[in-house]
Amino acid sequence: MIECPNCHNKEMPGALFCHECGTQLVDATRLATQSINGGSTDKLAQTFQSIPQVPIPPQAPADVAVSLFIMETGEILPLEGRTEFTIGRSAEGQPILPDIDLAPYRAYEQGVSRLHASISLGKQQALATDLGSANGTRLNGQKIPPHKPYQIKHGDVLTLGKLKIQLLIRR
Amino acid sequence: MAEETLYDVLGLPRDATPEEIRHSYRDMARRLHPDHNVNLGETELFIGVQEAFEVLSDPDRKKNYDLGLPPEPLMIPPISVQITYSRNSLARMSEPQLFYAMVELRVHADAEHPPTSPINLCLVLDCSTSMQGVRLDTVKSTAIDLVRQLQSEDILSIVKFSDRAEVIVPAGSRADRRSVETRIQVLQAGGGTEILQGLALGFEEIRRYCSSNRISHIILITDGRTYGDEEACIRLADQASSYGISISALGIGSQWNDKFLDEMVSRTGGNCKYVSRAEDIRRFILEKINGFEHSFAENATYTFSTPENVFLNYAFRLHPDTSPLVTGSPLVLGSIPRDSNHNLLLEFLANDVPPKADHLTLCKGRLTYEVPSSTKKRKFVHRLDIATMITDEFDLEPPPPNLMQAMSRLTLYRMQERAREDIGDGNMRDATRRLQNLATHLLAQGQRDLARSVLGEVAHIQQNQTFSEEGDKRIKYGTRALLLPPGTKEKQHDRVS
Repeated sequence: MIECPNCHNKEMPGALFCHECGTQLVDATRLATQSINGGSTDKLAQTFQSIPQVPIPPQAPADVAVSLFIMETGEILPLEGRTEFTIGRSAEGQPILPDIDLAPYRAYEQGVSRLHASISLGKQQALATDLGSANGTRLNGQKIPPHKPYQIKHGDVLTLGKLKIQLLIRR
Repeated sequence: MAEETLYDVLGLPRDATPEEIRHSYRDMARRLHPDHNVNLGETELFIGVQEAFEVLSDPDRKKNYDLGLPPEPLMIPPISVQITYSRNSLARMSEPQLFYAMVELRVHADAEHPPTSPINLCLVLDCSTSMQGVRLDTVKSTAIDLVRQLQSEDILSIVKFSDRAEVIVPAGSRADRRSVETRIQVLQAGGGTEILQGLALGFEEIRRYCSSNRISHIILITDGRTYGDEEACIRLADQASSYGISISALGIGSQWNDKFLDEMVSRTGGNCKYVSRAEDIRRFILEKINGFEHSFAENATYTFSTPENVFLNYAFRLHPDTSPLVTGSPLVLGSIPRDSNHNLLLEFLANDVPPKADHLTLCKGRLTYEVPSSTKKRKFVHRLDIATMITDEFDLEPPPPNLMQAMSRLTLYRMQERAREDIGDGNMRDATRRLQNLATHLLAQGQRDLARSVLGEVAHIQQNQTFSEEGDKRIKYGTRALLLPPGTKEKQHDRVS
């Protein structure tokens, strides 16, 4: 039997995905070997680093505008071009790509899940939802249950794992 | 084609084993027996099968016959088969283990392409009260377009049903286009939904022309649930399939029984689709007709047997017409397109891998299909075995990326299936947890709309302890559409109408 690292469900040997939570079960070994020959990692990191700096022309400007202030590095990531953003970190070899990639901000060390939380912008309010992340999300120090949207306001601090992000909201 | 051999009569390759000969004879005899057959000339076919069996089942007579056979004409089969496995080998252990195989059927590059075959199509239209209005109007206008589009060799019949069925346009009628159009135009909605009535009459119509070189297909369009005649419908579908007639179904709105229709059509190699909006009806029918123009071979089936310790757990057709398949033998695969692959994904469960052997045949069988040509359908049979090595070590090499990709999508579809089962069992907590996981994966793959539908369903289930009217169908057919290989992406129709 093999165990799913995410939900500890037992699967038969040879299973490729956990049938309970859909987590990919093979591949881990290959990933470790691949990351040793660093080249592709650097390239990937560069690509991702360049993403937040490219200004995305806003298609439908929402009435509420949100920026993420990464408290540790002092960088500001504006959320533009959509009304819903997923936040997480990219991992090599995984097809999961969050809209806001925190990998350049030591997300892995801080315990950010690949798909950690989402922020959606409405007409009057902005909402944050934890997407069932492994280490949880805190809103102003208070842990929020997964899959439930919570209203957020200017100055709120969202903690993904250990990574702290202050929300800058302009109306 | 050379003269038909006794092996051809039984649909077998020349190296068929005695067991295969017996099986094939039984299957055909059951269908063609004079007590059951309905079509003219079938008794003669039955006698032919009987004679072939008498010769081939007797070792001495078989030997004599084989000696007298002209050598098998050398020919490369027009379809090539490629199999990708999830692992290079099975591990030698008593514990059960899973093993995946992706089977790709492709038309050989230098196979001769017969001209597009004419079609023999029957539309079976639900005209129950609920179809009234824009639904029936769209169906009518599409049917009229179809009448105008068909070539002179094509055959179209139309059957309407509610509590009872009626032939609106008989197959092969020579009536002029205008009067056919009028007959469609005056269709009225009213009454209940008894699918068996419509299907049986449609089957009768289509069968009159299905022995020739045409591709025979029934399209069932319904928006309601049929009561009590499901099993009879499934028996009828099996019967249709044995004549090489495939059935596809279109379910409109939320009231129809998707589980039943899925099972029924997959027995014939067809597929079932869901539309929430009337405008999509048209697209479905036209896509279907278009599909026939690009079909190379029809009625592909895989007749197989597995050893005692191996089970075929799950079978899914990825392309064309994404659909789960009924896993027993024979596996009805449907049509093989001219210019793209026919892809299947199979999940095997192997118990107790024998300690001594160095390889294991997971399943053994033959692939049969028909290539329609201008005069007659040509039948082809080849052997298709799925086998792998056995090693002491568990093979840790990562699976091929295309198989992984297909499996990651299929996993989502199966999570949805399991959530439905949970709800059926009254297990709301597992169902909502599964759906939440599903939504997260969908978000990760950029399927925002579908993810939102799933989360909406979660909320609905938490409040009402069941799926919303359309939610289960939207999620089922939405996750299914994800499985289409890249490049053939069709427009999603999971939006709320």
